[in-house]
Amino acid sequence: MSAFFKVSSLGVHIGDAGILRNINLEFREGEVTALLGHNGSGKSTLLKVLARQLSPSSGEVSVLGTSFNSTGAREFARIVGYLPQHPPGTDGLTVRELVALGRYPWRGPLGRYNDEDHQLIDQAIDDTGLRYFQHRSVDTLSGGERQRAWIAMLLAQQTRCLLLDEPISALDVKHQVETLRLVHRLAEERELTVVVVLHDVDLAARFCDRLVALKTGELVADGSPREIMDSGILETIYGVPMGVMERAPGQWVSYVH
Amino acid sequence: MYADTSTLPIAAVILWLGALFASATPWLNQLDPIAILSAFWTFNPDQYASVLAHHSWAPRVSIAMLIGCGLGLAGAVTQQILGNPLASPTTLGVEAGGQFGITVATLFAPGLLAFSPDLAAIGGGLLAIGLVIALTWRLGFSPVTVILAGLVITFFLGAMNMAFLLLKGEWLGNLYIWGAGSLVQNNWGPFMDLWPRVLVLAILMLLLMRPLQLLQLGQASASSLGARVGLIRVLALLLVVLMSTTVVSRVGVVAFVGLAAPVLARLLGARTLGSRLLWSTVMGGGLLLLADTLAHWASTWGDGSLVPTGTTTALIGGPVILLALQGIRNTHHMPGQESSPAGFQPKRRSPVMISGVIVTLLLATIVISMGWSPGLDDWNWTPITQWHEAWVWRGPRLLAATLAGVALGLAGTLIQRMTGNPMGSPEMLGISGGAALVMVMIVLSGLEVGRLGQLGAATLGAAAALGLLILLARKHRFAGNQLLLGGLALYVFMDAGLRLVMASGGTVAAQLLNWMYGSTWLTSESEAFGLMAFIVLICGFLCLVVRPLTLLPLGDTSASALGLPVAKARLLLLLVAAVLTASATVVIGPLSFVGLIAPHLARVLGQQTVGRQMIAAALVGGLLLAAADYLSRIVVYPGQLPAGLLAALVGGVYFLWGLSRHGRA
Repeated sequence: MSAFFKVSSLGVHIGDAGILRNINLEFREGEVTALLGHNGSGKSTLLKVLARQLSPSSGEVSVLGTSFNSTGAREFARIVGYLPQHPPGTDGLTVRELVALGRYPWRGPLGRYNDEDHQLIDQAIDDTGLRYFQHRSVDTLSGGERQRAWIAMLLAQQTRCLLLDEPISALDVKHQVETLRLVHRLAEERELTVVVVLHDVDLAARFCDRLVALKTGELVADGSPREIMDSGILETIYGVPMGVMERAPGQWVSYVH
Repeated sequence: MYADTSTLPIAAVILWLGALFASATPWLNQLDPIAILSAFWTFNPDQYASVLAHHSWAPRVSIAMLIGCGLGLAGAVTQQILGNPLASPTTLGVEAGGQFGITVATLFAPGLLAFSPDLAAIGGGLLAIGLVIALTWRLGFSPVTVILAGLVITFFLGAMNMAFLLLKGEWLGNLYIWGAGSLVQNNWGPFMDLWPRVLVLAILMLLLMRPLQLLQLGQASASSLGARVGLIRVLALLLVVLMSTTVVSRVGVVAFVGLAAPVLARLLGARTLGSRLLWSTVMGGGLLLLADTLAHWASTWGDGSLVPTGTTTALIGGPVILLALQGIRNTHHMPGQESSPAGFQPKRRSPVMISGVIVTLLLATIVISMGWSPGLDDWNWTPITQWHEAWVWRGPRLLAATLAGVALGLAGTLIQRMTGNPMGSPEMLGISGGAALVMVMIVLSGLEVGRLGQLGAATLGAAAALGLLILLARKHRFAGNQLLLGGLALYVFMDAGLRLVMASGGTVAAQLLNWMYGSTWLTSESEAFGLMAFIVLICGFLCLVVRPLTLLPLGDTSASALGLPVAKARLLLLLVAAVLTASATVVIGPLSFVGLIAPHLARVLGQQTVGRQMIAAALVGGLLLAAADYLSRIVVYPGQLPAGLLAALVGGVYFLWGLSRHGRA
């Protein structure tokens, strides 16, 4: 598998504070990667850099072998989709209208939406199970439904990569699992590259191919779930004594001592 | 949350037909309906009424509709760009800029006006928006900052206009009628000239519709969908400027159509961007036609004295904004805005050092103001032993100006903290406006009430404005943006009254103008001391409310969860702010903008917590007005400029400097 994102000696400083220091990473194509770490460890910042929302203070990031700077805004948006941690209020847009905005990178300011677009919009709505809500205003939905509506917009964007910043933070267990399962399934079906910030280590291990952990702006762990789900490594990531049990192959339970 | 969409077309039709009918009424007994209708394209040379209708009435109606549509569209686009229902070309300083351009051209390059009137206006408008953009460029055009900068530019250019008017009034008499927006026409020329431009601009705006829609999703999502957010905003703003200034250059400032039309459209259920643009355009045309008809009627009744249309647009705009207050609920989290405020946080600095510096400057100002002044032939120092003789001339006004500055600084901080909105200030909440309106009415009615009577009346006015505001805002538990909208409505009303006075001209206008812009030289010794005692009392009280003020910006839920009786606390603080404002308004007039500027300067100077900000803002306010009072005495000696005007100019410059410097950091 070739590298989708290549991050080399990346550093981000805001004022005097270093948020990220000397990060070297590759995100491989078709792989679901979870970014782990405690609050303030720099996971969201790294995701923002990958989404080109934030320009790094030092270092180099390239997508599919080309440097970030040489990609146009809409061209980039056809490759990479980004869901911010707190999507803003949408002022009365219906679910369908919101999802339709995901076609912007492909159609631009003036291009007409054709049948293919409408089909993709329908499919995105179906994939996220929002058919019943599609004509409701996004603002009137519950937290979980709203989250799914935004994910649907990202799906309609038809990118090869999804960057999700805590996509399941507002959801209950059922919807958390369903959302991650959806992401995982889509990643397999469409060979999507996914980078997702998660807080729940167990869910991350269950649904992701690879776990990457940051601590105070530096890379502390990187590997498959089997390698990371180890009491010693988790302890270095979170700074509290932890234990891990493997209940069944590929299913871990971590707990705090 | 949204009204049924089917009411929209009906409302639009009623508005248009009503306005058209009202406009045609005076002609009904002279011409038959068909002749009136045909006046739009032909006339009967044998019939005077028909000629008049074709060359005066029909073009006026047409141009009102055209301009109304254009401004409505521009307003809707502006609101979308900035994701803020308070945004409009007026709020961005575009109209003030256009007016400034024309003023300057009238004074220094009259040839340009004869050549092309809109060049000057567009130049002014671009200057205004250019300043706004330059100031907010590095902050990525965040909506709040843009509006803030636009507002300050508006005030600043408005103050410049006033300064020119006071100094060179004899040249600019007509400009006032123009400034208030007069749609009187005597041929089809201007309309024919205008419609292709408006049409082209409207089409260009519609081409930007889809990128504009993305802005609704917030900066992060919009740019991750491949939209160049900054570029879109710049382009759309440029179109808005062109549209507004094209209109302004032909007929003058027709304020609030650009604000009221989109609000009305939204209230009546226009939900998507497309329908908002469409219906704002339609509503704008109808609204302006209605306003123009009212202005025409008022001119007819008011024995021929001209009532400019700008006045009546303001009269209609007020109630519409009040309606918005009832209808737009979820304004706290405005669409497209990040949930965390992108507020600016300059480095914190020691309060003792900053206060020390300001106090030193204040003392220096007082010493210079008391001692160093131009005489008949030369500048000279008044030795300290003679100060008791100079006191009568220089003391009371200096003291009163300083205290008014302190009061405004405190009131501004209170209001900004309370509403959690950096645009909040006594001026914006209409409290000064209420006081001013009463004063204007007194002067207009020709009553001789004396200084004390004025003071009482202004306090009454401020209290009434505040009472109305409380009544309106109680439903929303005095939440920030509702309060601002309500205040804006009051301000609109005041503006209407003032435009009327200005347009009527004469000695009354000159007198009012002086007071409006804060002529401190009317203050007596006893008033100054009274004010001092009062301010000291209020300051004592303010020490008690520092903590509630820290809690309020956290939002109602958090504040009340922390045990603060939110509604009560707001009411109390509002009252204090109103009283402070009224006492300052009497001295310095309603338009000094110290209440807006001082709290910001305090922040720029690194005073972030409530207590420190209040102290610094009070001192800065006092310093500003003390310096302004001194300058107003000496700049055009032996003449006098109003101190409030100078404060607006000086404070504006400082404020802009602070904002841009922060942008660089």
